[in-house]
Amino acid sequence: MKKKVLSVLLCAGMAVSLLAGCGSGSDTDQQSDMEYVKEKGTLVVGITNFEPMDYQDESGEWIGFDADMARAFGESLGVEVEFVEIDWDNKILELDSNTIDCVWNGMTLTEEVTSSMECTDAYLQNAQVVVVPTDAADQYQDTDSLSDLSFAVEAGSAGEEEVSALGLDYTPVTAQADALMEVDAGTSDAAVIDLLMAAAMIGEGTGYADLTYTVSLNSEEYGVGFRKGSDLAEELNTFFAQCYEDGTMQEHAETYGVQAALIEQ
Amino acid sequence: MEFINFSEIAEQFPIVFQALNTGFLQTLKLFFVTLLGAIPLGLIISFGSMSRFRPLSYFTKIIVWIIRGTPLMIQLLIIFYFPGIVLGNNIWGGSESGRFMAASFAFIFNYACYFSEIYRGGIQGVPRGQEEAGLVLGMTRRQIFFKITLLQMIKRIVPPMSNEIITLVKDTSLARIIALQEIIWAGQSFLKGSQGIAGAIWPLFFTAVYYLIFSGILTVLLGRLEKKLDYFR
Amino acid sequence: MAILEVEHLSKKFDRTEVLGDISFSLEKGNVLSIIGSSGSGKTTLLRCLNFLERPDSGVIRVNGQMLFDSGDPVTTQESEIRRRRLHFGLVFQSFNLFPQYTALDNVMLAKELLEKERPDYKSKKREINEQIEREAKELLDQMGLSDRMNNYPHQLSGGQCQRVAIARALALRPDILCFDEPTSALDPELTGEVLKVIQGLADQETTMIIVTHEMAFARDVSNQVIFMDDGCILEQGTPGEVIGNPKEERTRQFLSRFTKG
Repeated sequence: MKKKVLSVLLCAGMAVSLLAGCGSGSDTDQQSDMEYVKEKGTLVVGITNFEPMDYQDESGEWIGFDADMARAFGESLGVEVEFVEIDWDNKILELDSNTIDCVWNGMTLTEEVTSSMECTDAYLQNAQVVVVPTDAADQYQDTDSLSDLSFAVEAGSAGEEEVSALGLDYTPVTAQADALMEVDAGTSDAAVIDLLMAAAMIGEGTGYADLTYTVSLNSEEYGVGFRKGSDLAEELNTFFAQCYEDGTMQEHAETYGVQAALIEQ
Repeated sequence: MEFINFSEIAEQFPIVFQALNTGFLQTLKLFFVTLLGAIPLGLIISFGSMSRFRPLSYFTKIIVWIIRGTPLMIQLLIIFYFPGIVLGNNIWGGSESGRFMAASFAFIFNYACYFSEIYRGGIQGVPRGQEEAGLVLGMTRRQIFFKITLLQMIKRIVPPMSNEIITLVKDTSLARIIALQEIIWAGQSFLKGSQGIAGAIWPLFFTAVYYLIFSGILTVLLGRLEKKLDYFR
Repeated sequence: MAILEVEHLSKKFDRTEVLGDISFSLEKGNVLSIIGSSGSGKTTLLRCLNFLERPDSGVIRVNGQMLFDSGDPVTTQESEIRRRRLHFGLVFQSFNLFPQYTALDNVMLAKELLEKERPDYKSKKREINEQIEREAKELLDQMGLSDRMNNYPHQLSGGQCQRVAIARALALRPDILCFDEPTSALDPELTGEVLKVIQGLADQETTMIIVTHEMAFARDVSNQVIFMDDGCILEQGTPGEVIGNPKEERTRQFLSRFTKG
């Protein structure tokens, strides 16, 4: 008899622990997103390691154009800024599950991004460029010459959209850097990555000295993404405008060599 | 085309080595926390599935079926993102420590379910006559468990447990799906660019050395344990 | 006075009656053999005496002391049963030695655990342990295993294992030693050594109950024989009566299978 009672209790306990959290409703429903962030006192910024936007210096501190701007924005809100590395494929999941508060990482404003996030106005101009080995660069100077190449592109990136729109043969990989590795290793003929990244990562004096970039497939714009319906996007637009006006945005941009790409706010 | 630039690797090595060590520490932490949690939890689950109280044993068996029948990667995604998205209450937080907690939870639960089946086989594999022999010699159930059945059980479960434990070493890398910065993540970061090194492929390949050495040590230790129990049949 | 009295013992598994109204008694120093075809309830009876099965009704008395009375709940409690079953020893058909202990440790283990419960154990630890070991060695010596004491069960033959099991049961000095088909799991050439040991115990007037299919052995070793059929005692008496000159038709049928073969 005792054993049975114990078993029932155990059973019930397991069921409850499985459903734990169901009962505790969210109190964020009534709050605006800005109030929610201010109340917890931290703005969690989802990033990937992406030079020159967000990357670590030798002491492990996050620096870069986006990182500096994010810190300044946090200061204006009166909250701490916490940088968290995320898997780029899961950025919308991360936002929706409140594990981060924004994606601020040289994010191209694609259809996917604008339809699932609350995005700011564009603040940086970028392009998708074709990366090929330097010794083959002469042959691939226009879009028409690309048709017989095999491409490596980051899955879900703006580059993937471009190559699939052109009907080119491509392999999706998990990161832009992986796409470069594919070209360097010869497993793919070419890659499509961000211009800003290409400028920082390939060519003389980098890890990919034998690679170069040629054709520009499109021009595109970077923005910051918040949760759908968040009032923080509008707040950041205002903040960008202020910074552009008083010149601090240009200052930060110059530090990382992206001033030419800056969009007027 | 140059294949491997050794002078460059030598130059990058100190920085990469340190980053990989940090990543591997996280891998080790997840490994040991999982073992520490899953070994006892597995025993509780195995008792549940062997319970003579039908609803409890069915319930436990269904849970074990679900956990063993779905990929650990999906379980990680669900455990980390589900509370925030569906229940509107992100219980983990977004920081590295929150991700570690979520990963530990998923790993412990997953491995406990696998362990529970091994335990069940071990417990049921000890002949009933052993218990009866103890009983007629006036031993208590406690004495029978600790002095007679326990060691025979352990002998039966050590080989399959060794397999699972070695698998766990490598499975920890799945935690990178929720951006836990274990060693694979650390190795990959030098591809994307980190600490002044970008486009370096070798750190990612080099992580394999860590896994090899660690699983090698474990294989030797577990093999010794198995040999130690070889004196009886 | 009889050392063992069993009255009106019965036992059902689900709804099948496996023991029906069993009554018998056994004198100290005597040997009782229980014979009968498989499924006749011999083993169940033995398991009831050792409390591995719980009788549904009936009474078991040893030396006049009430060990089990289905009408008295105090005697049926688990905690009570542990001490009471020590009046009996049981040797299993399949030995059931503990594989992780040597022959010597198999014999010593239960006694060691029991002696730890003595209030003066701590003060006399060394003496007690020395005595347990001495007695265990004597027993194994008596079984002809003095050179096998430190072997593990898997290093012993079936006959040697069974002799260790007998020593193990004797180590607790039970009032009555029970054997459940002690030679059935052995190769034919190994049965002799075990039967010889049991015969030796009978010569020393050890009180024993033996469930067996060895008819010749049963006739030689016992003072008393019970023939069981379908859960009931069909016939009991001296070996000369039951085996030599059975009254019942069923007994004759059963025995004829052995004499023919």
